[in-house]
Formats: sequence, structure tokens, C-alpha cells
Amino acid sequence: MTALPTNSQLLLVSSQAAPWREEEATHSMRSLAYFIGTFVVALMLGIGSAWYMIERGSPLTTTKVGPWDGWITEGNPQADPYTRAHVARSGRLPLTSTVARYFTSRTDSAGRTLVSSCEYLVEGGPINARWWSLAVYDEYGGLIDNPSARYSFNSEEMLRHADGSYRVNLSSKARPENWLPSGTADQNLVLMLRIYSPRETDASGIGLVPAERLPKIERKSCE
Amino acid sequence: MRVRLPGLYIVLGLVLAGLIHIVAVLMLPSLAPKNAQARLAALGPANTMIELPAASPGRQVMPMMAPDVRYAVCRFDLANGPVRLRAAVPDELWLIALYTPEGENFYSVVGADMKRPQIDLIITAADQTVEEAGVDAPEWSDDVIVVNAPVTEGIALIRAPLAGPSRASFAERALRATSCGPYAGAG
Repeated sequence: MTALPTNSQLLLVSSQAAPWREEEATHSMRSLAYFIGTFVVALMLGIGSAWYMIERGSPLTTTKVGPWDGWITEGNPQADPYTRAHVARSGRLPLTSTVARYFTSRTDSAGRTLVSSCEYLVEGGPINARWWSLAVYDEYGGLIDNPSARYSFNSEEMLRHADGSYRVNLSSKARPENWLPSGTADQNLVLMLRIYSPRETDASGIGLVPAERLPKIERKSCE
Repeated sequence: MRVRLPGLYIVLGLVLAGLIHIVAVLMLPSLAPKNAQARLAALGPANTMIELPAASPGRQVMPMMAPDVRYAVCRFDLANGPVRLRAAVPDELWLIALYTPEGENFYSVVGADMKRPQIDLIITAADQTVEEAGVDAPEWSDDVIVVNAPVTEGIALIRAPLAGPSRASFAERALRATSCGPYAGAG
């Protein structure tokens, strides 16, 4: 911009006033940006933390044993708001935790996501309950199509060793012993262990499954 | 003054995040559009026993259903009086559970704990008693279980865990023989 030498007085005034107004404008602009930013961050934090604590659980609501997560008061009418929200969102109708316990796993024992392109060995000891079942699902809780129509192994049909322990081969290809097919589609997997009428309970009657009785999930190989 | 502002925004943000978190958690159970009640309502009318198809890929009423359990469900509606559920329980593995629409399991009974193979369960709302419904309770009160429900609408779910792969048709037949309906006049 070219300055007008004839009107030095006006030039002086404007050069004094302009920085001040600009500063005020940037200040209020910055306040607005701060405010919107704060609100957006708060929204993400609030919704995100609520989603995570409802979907995946937290030490307040779930017991975590190796790769397994179990909601302590699942299905219980006196359950905390997180557990209630979890159940309502899941679309499931779980039995109250004094009658049955459910444990889900989305990872192997080393913490790596369960995927259909890998082969796993699931190895566990006897569980003291009236009936239990180990089933595999896709990440949305749907059963996985396979030619032998095998979706689970329960306490009555699982092939077991003399000491009551068992090994399940979770694999997309046919395997000996207990073969749980993980399907041909490339996807993440969820294992669910449902234990009906556990014979041991804690002080409040909630079914107790000793940590060492939950199976280990070992990744064998990947394609 | 301007140095303190980011700190103020952080505090404001955290308080706001906390409030949003609490509201989200508390609102969710009543907002979940695909909860179990909504999924089961699509299957048929209330106060009738409906046998669920055996869970298989692409054919699941609810997510994560057990493939080795057979289910029968009755959505009960107590607006017009108590609802009666009757079942001949063939083995000790059977489980009968009552739920609120949000999925809270407020009552359950295991086959092994039943004294008789025939279960007769009357579900009443808070303001209903079986006497009012015109039942001669003393005569067979031992055989009948009366459950006072905390809700007027809910779900009764019978689970028949399979004791082996060859037991499926047997369990399905036994589930088909169960019944659920309005109590009044049922004798």
C-alpha cells in the first residue's frame, strides 16, 4: 500500500488505531475458536469414553483374565449404568451373573487381535459348572458359515483328555481333535465362553470361575 | 490473564466431557434401537410362545446367540392381567428366565432346582395378585410359582442347552410343547 504524504495526520491516527482493533478482533476470534474447540474435544472425550466403557468395559464393571473379559453384574437388575447400557446396546438377553457367566475374547493371550487368517490353539482345564460352551463369532456377534456347520463345542461334546483338559483348534482349515472353523472370509473373530450354573460363587452369589480355568489362546501360524 | 485462559478451557472441557459422558451412559438403555425387546417384537404378538429358529449364520434373532442352545420366547404384556407360562421340563439343564425390556434378568429358575418336571409360572404386575385374578390358590399353590414382575411388559425366555449334538430335535419338540398366554380363564 502506498502512503499519502499530504495527509500525514490521518495516516498517523489510522496506524495507531488499526493494530488495536485487529488485536481485539483476533482476541475474540481466538476465544470463539477456543470455545468451539473445547466443546468439540469435550464431546469427543465424553462420547468416546462412554462408548469405550460401555462396549469394552473397565475395571469398575468387568473382570479381565488374560484375553477374557467378563461383565460382573451382567443381566442383574441391580447392575450399574455401564453394565445396563452394555446389555441394552448388545441386543442380547444374558442370564444374570448368579446363574451364568459369559466371557468374551477379541485377542489371543499375547494381546493380538483374533483374525480368521491365523490359526489358534485354545487350551483349557475342566470348568466346574453344570454346562458350558465355547463358540466363535464374527466381530458383530454373527455365527460363521462353514461346511461342517460347527459353531461351538460344549461340555457334553468336547473331546477331552483323561484329566478333563481340552484343546480346540480354531482354524479356517480342517484340523483334528476339536476343530472350530473360523471361516474363509477375512475378518476379526470373537470367542465366547458361556458357563451355565457355575458351582462356585462369591459372597454375593455371583458365579466364580477361577482365572486358571479360562482357556489360553495361543497363535500358531498366520497365512 | 491470557496465560491462564487455556487452563480455564481445559477445566471447562473436562467438566463438559464428564457431563456428556454421564448423559450418554444413562440415556443409552432407553435409546438403544436394536435391543432384545425390539428384535423379539418383530417375531410375533405378545403373550404367545414363539420358538426361535436354531441360530445359524445369517439367521440369528439376537447377536451372539448360543448355537448349541434352543430357545423359546414369550413377550408378556400384563396390561390385561397376569400371564401364565407352562412347560414340561425334560432335563435339568433347562433355564427359564424373565427379563425387563432393557434386558435385566429379574427372575430365573434352573431345571435342576425345580421340584417337579412340570413348571407352572404365573407372572403378575405390581398391582395384581393371583387371588384377584380369581385363582383358588390353596389347592395347588405348591405347584404354581407366582412371580411379581417390576414391569408390565417384558420377556420370558426358555433355554434348552443341548446335552449333545443328537439332542437338538428332542429339545425342539419339548420347547414346542410349552405354552404362554393370558391367565384369566385358563383354568
